[in-house]
Amino acid sequence: MDLLAQILINGVLLGGLYAVMALGLALVWGVLNIVNLAHGAFIMLGGYLSWHLYTYLGIDPFLGLPITAVVMFCLGYVLQRGVLNLIVRAPMFNTLLITFGLEVVLTYLAQLAFSADFRTINPSYAGSSIALGPVVVPVARLMAFGVAVALTVGMWLFLLHSRLGRAIRATAQNLVAARLYGVEPRHLYAMTFGIGIGLAGAAGGLYGTVSQIDPYIGATLTAKSFAIAIIGGLDNPLGVLVGGLVLGIIESLTVLYVGATFGDVASFGVLVLVLIFRPSGLLGKTA
Amino acid sequence: MKGLRWILIVAALAVLAAVPWFGSDVLVQFGINALLLAVLAQGWNIIGGYAGYASFGNSVFYGLGSYGVAIAMVQWELPFAVGMVFGVVLAVAFAFLLGLPVLRLRGHYFAIATLALAQVMIAIVSNLSIAGQNIGLVLPPLNDDRLFYELSLVLLVAATATVFWLTRSRFGFGLIAIRENEEGAAVMGVNTTLYKVLAFALSGVFSALAGGIHAYWITFLDPASAFDISLNVKMIIMAVFGGPGTVLGPVLGAFVLSTVSELLSSEITSVAGLFFGLVVVVAVIFMPRGVADLMRRFRTTGWRYFVENLKAHRI
Repeated sequence: MDLLAQILINGVLLGGLYAVMALGLALVWGVLNIVNLAHGAFIMLGGYLSWHLYTYLGIDPFLGLPITAVVMFCLGYVLQRGVLNLIVRAPMFNTLLITFGLEVVLTYLAQLAFSADFRTINPSYAGSSIALGPVVVPVARLMAFGVAVALTVGMWLFLLHSRLGRAIRATAQNLVAARLYGVEPRHLYAMTFGIGIGLAGAAGGLYGTVSQIDPYIGATLTAKSFAIAIIGGLDNPLGVLVGGLVLGIIESLTVLYVGATFGDVASFGVLVLVLIFRPSGLLGKTA
Repeated sequence: MKGLRWILIVAALAVLAAVPWFGSDVLVQFGINALLLAVLAQGWNIIGGYAGYASFGNSVFYGLGSYGVAIAMVQWELPFAVGMVFGVVLAVAFAFLLGLPVLRLRGHYFAIATLALAQVMIAIVSNLSIAGQNIGLVLPPLNDDRLFYELSLVLLVAATATVFWLTRSRFGFGLIAIRENEEGAAVMGVNTTLYKVLAFALSGVFSALAGGIHAYWITFLDPASAFDISLNVKMIIMAVFGGPGTVLGPVLGAFVLSTVSELLSSEITSVAGLFFGLVVVVAVIFMPRGVADLMRRFRTTGWRYFVENLKAHRI
């Protein structure tokens, strides 16, 4: 019973991180209708950025997150404005391909700049943990979870109440109408993509404190983010949080009861089942 | 004009078939890779280019074909040909069992479901003892690159002939109708479910055969390389670069991109992948309908072709 409780705690903590990873992907997908295959690569870049800030400048990974997020936001804004805006209205294949091309470019750049060695962000409190009765909660994971939930809820409030957030939601529903009300799509698309990439960068910083970063983690993280976005739906950040928690718990339970190598089978199996029985996504919009 | 085209095709085939007799070992090995990639791109063309379903699951067929041959030859000590048949049977079974539910999904959702299936297959095969689990299987070596080259060429011709047949058969027209408007196709009496599953299976057969040949040629396979998803992305890129939904486009795309990537990796090893990515990005922006479309329209429009593509898709 204690073991089960511990596993559930681990799953929930992992799930919060998963949610932030998928948040940016779901936002970009829902508003721009671009499935960003480079999303995981941006998470990886964010992780490296955070690692450099910590290792060379001594900035705590959690305090450094805003810096990482802002830098990644700028990168995302420039990429959307300069490159992706050129193909926004192209067929689906082409948007998939161009983001895949970006993923290849980013992965190779990372390999050239940072070498293929894996990195971990290890602040002084990395090893410490809190005992809650029989259950042990690692401090770094708990902090990552707290930041993740705060980011998700913050994103939800932002989309619901801010002027920019409302413009983004309006564009997702009807671009032509939003345009008539004075939304400038080139700028708005770039802002949305920038926010998505900024979130990916923050997720990367958090990921670096609980796991290892190397230039090749991108593809797997993209696939996981997909799964979460599908399970949770595209139009509500709180749905993504649910998706992340579901996936985190399922993975932890599978690793315990079936075997460590089946973790991915479970998460992607759930994804396929959700797709088959709810072809438009659990809570998501229709294709 | 039409006669000339056939003469050109036969001449090109004759030159291709003669390569192992005058080319160097390196050239033949490059040829085998390029031919097999062309088969994969052509196989993807059936489901992706003609039926319009962006499958990320074709690498599963490739993996099943590889493992079909490997299991038959290593575990059961059967001949290569039987292994190929076994691989094809596995691929067709997969296409029918999982194609039926998954092909109900549209657009991005289909792409992602097949992507997820590919991930699941890696994990499942890594846990099967008959497939050598994580370690993989080692096949009996056969040092006959000429044979592998000619086999790959025959397979490519068969795949291309099949796609050519699609362009003038009831089945092919049905697939194109599904791509353009699935509800419309259903209303016009196309059995959409059957057609989609058959197209999925057909593209699977060619991918599986390519996987089988590759496995016997390389003589080693493990789950991560046999079910490698980046291979699936490669076939999509090659098909789309060449021109999806055309007969020769995917073959052209595979040859051009294989050559580019080979030249790059021999000249500037470390940044070859970087340039490959950049080529893909630039190609998608300036020629979104592939080389085949570029060649058809460039004569009349000239350089304006690129500008018009830009204008058509930007915001």
